[in-house]
Amino acid sequence: MTMIEVKDLSKVYGSGETKVIALDSVNLTIEQGQFVAVMGPSGCGKSTLLHLIGGLDRPTTGTVTVEGKDISKMSDTTLTELRRRKMGFIFQFYNLIPVLDAVENTALPLILDGVKPETARIKAKEWLTRNKLEDRGSHRPDELSGGQQQRVAISRAMVADPVIVLADEPTGNLDSRSGDEIASVLRKIVSDWGRTVLMVTHDPRIAAYADRIIFLKDGRIVDDALLSGDNGDNAKRLKEKVEAL
Amino acid sequence: MSVRHALLGLLAQQPRYGYELCAGFTALAGGRENWDVKPAQIYTTLSRMTDSGLVTLANGKNDNSLEKPLYSITLVGMEELMNWFRDSVLEEPHQDAFYLKLMLSLELDEVDAVRLIQIQRTALFQELHRITELRQSLDPQQQLAQILLMDKAVMHLEADVRWLDMIESRLEEVQHQPPPKPYLRPRGRPPSQ
Repeated sequence: MTMIEVKDLSKVYGSGETKVIALDSVNLTIEQGQFVAVMGPSGCGKSTLLHLIGGLDRPTTGTVTVEGKDISKMSDTTLTELRRRKMGFIFQFYNLIPVLDAVENTALPLILDGVKPETARIKAKEWLTRNKLEDRGSHRPDELSGGQQQRVAISRAMVADPVIVLADEPTGNLDSRSGDEIASVLRKIVSDWGRTVLMVTHDPRIAAYADRIIFLKDGRIVDDALLSGDNGDNAKRLKEKVEAL
Repeated sequence: MSVRHALLGLLAQQPRYGYELCAGFTALAGGRENWDVKPAQIYTTLSRMTDSGLVTLANGKNDNSLEKPLYSITLVGMEELMNWFRDSVLEEPHQDAFYLKLMLSLELDEVDAVRLIQIQRTALFQELHRITELRQSLDPQQQLAQILLMDKAVMHLEADVRWLDMIESRLEEVQHQPPPKPYLRPRGRPPSQ
């Protein structure tokens, strides 16, 4: 099933001489249950692509369709609703609330959505347990390591059962060992819990956890590589590329 | 060379039979999928080392005996092994087949260097993905040695990917430079004045 479809998507900032084309007619289809990494040099448009797919920004032209619904034409209210119910966001900086403990931080999106605090806490603890933080529930962010804080942030992103998880440099602020931990949590979100993950990263070892890598350059997709799945399939794709030489 | 010294290392622990040495080497090298050395090669190496006096047969050499040969290390073998430990190991990452391919592609109109880099990068990422999955499937409480070996593979692949990125970003520059050319020495008798 197609989860995300991007058609002729462009984003232009500014106009006239200061005009910057961040994305240039990008086409992309992402299936449900795929773990996709987006790579490319800084300024290539990878974060812009993520923000447009997440409805955090509006395209200049083109469309973004999520589960068959065109989000580029939605009203702000409908879009906010969709983001809250269908999407989970993970950023480089964990954006946890310092005065709340891990359970409260994780439960927050549900409570803001009107879920009873007790129910929200139970769901929050479930996700913290899945992310191996069951004994850290009452710790506040400043009592947790960077990797643990990011796992709280992932739990918070997952608590409302989103179908899509969007991660923007989720390991950018971590050492390589904690980075591996976070990448394997994202891997599990796809492999064990069947969600779709789109992750922007500049780190090859983190991108290697994904099933597919999209390479962007100057706002365009320059390459699209499948890493896993049927090896025969991969060989075929490679062969096609070789023949295109 | 390493196979020979690894066998000496295993024999320095205790005398062993040939099949033990095959299994011992495979385990040490991180499994057959990581470093596939055929038993035939191990036995050839053992017989060469026996001939040169590094290894001896602990249960006597008798071609008619049904008993399997039990190998043990000699004093000369021990000395050879210690020399090996004293030496450092330098690999040769600069003898690179992809580099040759890329350099030749710069001179051939039929081949697109950018595409060459993309194909290589995809292959590296597929390998990186495979190693990452393999590494994830190992148990850090039981298989730390193998994990460290996989880490090395990951780091090398990562470096190769970064190197490709660097080439790609400077491809135009290098395309405008002539690739390394051989210096041809004039042959034959110098032309007469």
